[in-house]
Amino acid sequence: MQEAPTANPENSSSENTEEYREPAIRIKELDFLYGNNQVIHNVTLDIFPKEIMAFIGPSGCGKSTLLRCLNRMNDLVEGARIGKGSIEIHGVDLHDKSVDVIELRKKVGMVFQKSNPFPKSIYQNVAYGLQIQGVKSKRVVDQKVEESLRKAALWEEVKDRLNENAYGLSGGQQQRLCIARTLAVEPEIILMDEPCSALDPVATGRVEELILELKNEYTIVVVTHNMQQAGRISDRTAFFYLGKLIECDLTKKIFLNPSKQQTEDYISGKFG
Amino acid sequence: MMSAQKEPKHPFTPRLSRERIQETFVFGLLRGMTFFVLFCAAFLFWDILSKGAGKIFEGEGLINWEFLTEHPQTLHVIGEGEDEIKLSSSNYYRLKDEKMYEKWNTFKGTSDYKNKRNQLFEASKAIQDEWTDQALVLADARFIEREQGKLSDKFSFWTELVTNFESTASDFEIKREEVLPMVSQFMLGHFEKERGRLQLLSDQLMLFRAQQYPKIENLTKENLKQIQLAYNQFLAQAPQTYNLAMREFGEEATITFNDFYSKEGPKEFGRFAEALVAYSSVRQTFLEEDQNMSNWDDLQQCLSPFKEAMTVALPSRDFAYSGGGIFPAIVGTLLLVVGAMAISIVLGVFCAIFLAEYGKSGKFISMVRLAILNLAGVPSIIFGLFGFGLFVIFLDWNVSLLAGWFTLAFMVLPIVITASEEALRSIPQGFRESSLALGATKWTMIKTSVLPFAMPGILTSSILGVARAAGETAPIMFTAAYAKRSELPWEGLEHWTDFFFQGVMALPYHIYVVSAKIPQNEYTADMQYGTAFIFLLLVVGIASLSIMLRNRLRKKYRW
Repeated sequence: MQEAPTANPENSSSENTEEYREPAIRIKELDFLYGNNQVIHNVTLDIFPKEIMAFIGPSGCGKSTLLRCLNRMNDLVEGARIGKGSIEIHGVDLHDKSVDVIELRKKVGMVFQKSNPFPKSIYQNVAYGLQIQGVKSKRVVDQKVEESLRKAALWEEVKDRLNENAYGLSGGQQQRLCIARTLAVEPEIILMDEPCSALDPVATGRVEELILELKNEYTIVVVTHNMQQAGRISDRTAFFYLGKLIECDLTKKIFLNPSKQQTEDYISGKFG
Repeated sequence: MMSAQKEPKHPFTPRLSRERIQETFVFGLLRGMTFFVLFCAAFLFWDILSKGAGKIFEGEGLINWEFLTEHPQTLHVIGEGEDEIKLSSSNYYRLKDEKMYEKWNTFKGTSDYKNKRNQLFEASKAIQDEWTDQALVLADARFIEREQGKLSDKFSFWTELVTNFESTASDFEIKREEVLPMVSQFMLGHFEKERGRLQLLSDQLMLFRAQQYPKIENLTKENLKQIQLAYNQFLAQAPQTYNLAMREFGEEATITFNDFYSKEGPKEFGRFAEALVAYSSVRQTFLEEDQNMSNWDDLQQCLSPFKEAMTVALPSRDFAYSGGGIFPAIVGTLLLVVGAMAISIVLGVFCAIFLAEYGKSGKFISMVRLAILNLAGVPSIIFGLFGFGLFVIFLDWNVSLLAGWFTLAFMVLPIVITASEEALRSIPQGFRESSLALGATKWTMIKTSVLPFAMPGILTSSILGVARAAGETAPIMFTAAYAKRSELPWEGLEHWTDFFFQGVMALPYHIYVVSAKIPQNEYTADMQYGTAFIFLLLVVGIASLSIMLRNRLRKKYRW
């Protein structure tokens, strides 16, 4: 295994980890295009297991696109394609022909900006992922639903009304339900696309707590507009600007002592 | 400033401006037009309801059930004005039967009934004895002789005409070239006429004509002579045919007569009397010059009291299609609607899924869309002709439910596809993304988290579209509709597949038939409005059903 490139400073100057860790996701010199419009320029980035990585940057900087590349949600967009470079998970290139995108998405779950539970019951929402995989046993599904809801810190609030419509929940609860739904499929990596942008501060707090708890088991990548949030929850932060990775480092360092001028300008609110 | 103002002026005093006038005018115009539309709709409904309700609520009881449960029949109106009684055929004949039985029973109760019966029996026995084979042969030979004479005369006239065409043609102001075609036309027409008049000879005449046809077509003087010869010869052989047919006829009459005595009822008697009367008229043709008719007259005389007992005078004015009900049409329309709905929704939804979910933008897809849009603008009569050409003729389904279903389905397909696509697109993208992100394949995603939520919209628009199409006459008039059919769709099926290959009656076509195909009068007008009323109810029913269904589904899946 080669030495990680510059965007992986943890390896050389880590404060809390001494040994070299195998990255969960390895992005190598990635160019990404929508048609002829290049939105990601030569990004190289490693994301390690069981850490929270935050992507920050102004709108249109490509952070969401990059996130959606990680479980190939961009396949849905017409004309979206990889220019050069690769994304590897467990050393497998995601865009290799042998990769089944369905299996990939089971391992790399995603939580969206707008909480979007299905207009079904709470139970059915969580069981959805299992049911489409063909799990028939009611006992297994019941167990998994409860486990996922507990993990998402929602069980106590909804255990008495599992059969009610999910849209009866508050915004924060809906978002946590979406997280529970993702957890039920047993992913290794969870991608979160601005999970709290539609929530009030209290609900945001609950979700953030939850994310921090989930860190123990899952690798989490969060895209956020909210820099304080990145500061509160993430281990490392990557700052993007105009499709380029400007800087990626420990969150503390990015916020207190960024090495690039652009990062400092953004963090301090001079633009963006 | 300079003069005292009449009114205290503040900055918000209204001022007459161009915009203000426009505003008032436009508001009035919009309101007026809306009210006009409302008025038209109200008038239409009021017209149908007020005139149609008469048919629905007429007669005894609250609702005229006969109208809803019976086949269309002829309406018999007895009496005039206040006292008029309207009876559909079945009721009219039932009444007639009842009266007949009454009369028959009275007759049977009279003292000389037995006497008359014996007389009748004796007379008919006598006449049967007289009908020997020999007598028949004699009579027939006489008839043929006479006919032959007449025909020979006709033939000679035309033969002469051809022979002396130059002089004769000038008399009739016709050209020489026209004579021969005219003669052959006459001959063809003559054979047609003979065939109609003498049913018994029809097969033989046809055969003769077929044999001689080339000669008749290319008539020359020689041909004409040959044909005349052949025809005379043919007529000479004919008596055998007559004899055979007559004997069969006589046997039938005897059987009926025996039936009458064994069963003793007015129905049997009626049939017997009819057979005898028919027999007599045929026979009289043969025996015109026969002097020995005394037995026959006796029989006629003996019959008369029986016949009188059977005849019931119930004078009525008859109006075709104005009586009975429209039950088969209701059933037919429902069948057409349900079938067309099923086909169009399945086809339309699948097509819409492809267009909305799988179809990438491209030349092909935009061509498909253009085609669908154009399809929506094709007049319904064209769909009728298309269905007639493809399903009825080419696929040989005949006039059938299946052909009607597909024709109607194709007609509403554009509506269904457009509505379904709209409904599919209105499903938030988030449902699709989260489903895919949970590891669903595209079809699983569509099946579990798009289609169920789009269903309310799809169903409502599609059902409304089909209900509208159900009112179309043009697409079904060539493909599925019968003006009159006495069996209901589930009656008289030999095999279950026959169900799909039968035509049905339908409400819109029935309205068309009673308003355009039969003589118009107040009674048919009742029928038209009654049918329209029921049809309106049916459409309202379907529409409310679809709305209820939508509301139910909406409640289940709301977001």
